[in-house]
Amino acid sequence: MRLEYFEMIDSFLAVDATARTIRTLCRVPETSPIFEGHFPGFALMPGVLLIECMAQTCGWMTSAINGFSGLPALAGVKEAKLREPVFPGHVLEFDGKIIHDGSGYAMAECEGRRDGKVVCSAGLTYRIIAYPSDVFRQTMLRRARELEFPIEEFVRE
Amino acid sequence: MYPAPMASTFETVADIISEICDIPRDTITPDSHAIDDLGIDSLDFLDVAFAIDKAFDIKMPLEKWIQDVNDGKATTEQYFVMKNLCARIDELIAAKG
Repeated sequence: MRLEYFEMIDSFLAVDATARTIRTLCRVPETSPIFEGHFPGFALMPGVLLIECMAQTCGWMTSAINGFSGLPALAGVKEAKLREPVFPGHVLEFDGKIIHDGSGYAMAECEGRRDGKVVCSAGLTYRIIAYPSDVFRQTMLRRARELEFPIEEFVRE
Repeated sequence: MYPAPMASTFETVADIISEICDIPRDTITPDSHAIDDLGIDSLDFLDVAFAIDKAFDIKMPLEKWIQDVNDGKATTEQYFVMKNLCARIDELIAAKG
């Protein structure tokens, strides 16, 4: 996880194109400038960044089922629950599922766990917006390959 | 312009809109424009669209509808006035076979 760059996902543990489910691994770093402020002497992973972990987890699956043709912009968060504090060094797994692939939008649900215990959950709404350029699309595909996302199951190039 | 929608489609869609957008049910009529009259914003409409897609097991082609309006091929009334929206939904249901 590179918190300062909003790169929350370290790897994809499971991607199921048929079930439209995805599991990601997100390791909270031991140190970060973010923790210097949140909070001084008591580093705590901000809850909003746990929501970002969930958003990116499901966002990748949303991108994939749309053939990496558009950017899933987070448009809504429903019933977000931050159940347990998360601290530096914690290793989290997020399970996401696309519950509806609409025209220009998607709905998803996600849970985050540490050692099998749920630490957060939320319902997520995405608006799919067109990539600004093919260069950006190639950037996204390159990032997917770097993270070893199984692009070939979703994109025929 | 379109044949009258099935009464049940209108009732279902109106109930969905009333519940999701917290709009009094009796203010929603077949001639109500979802955006101009009922004041449903684009984000709330995603929740409405999701509920409609699920209720009728369809996928409303919202992107195409919006593109048609932007391209001048259609007006918002053709898609978002309740009676027309419901007629479109009925077409999608019929197309499923």
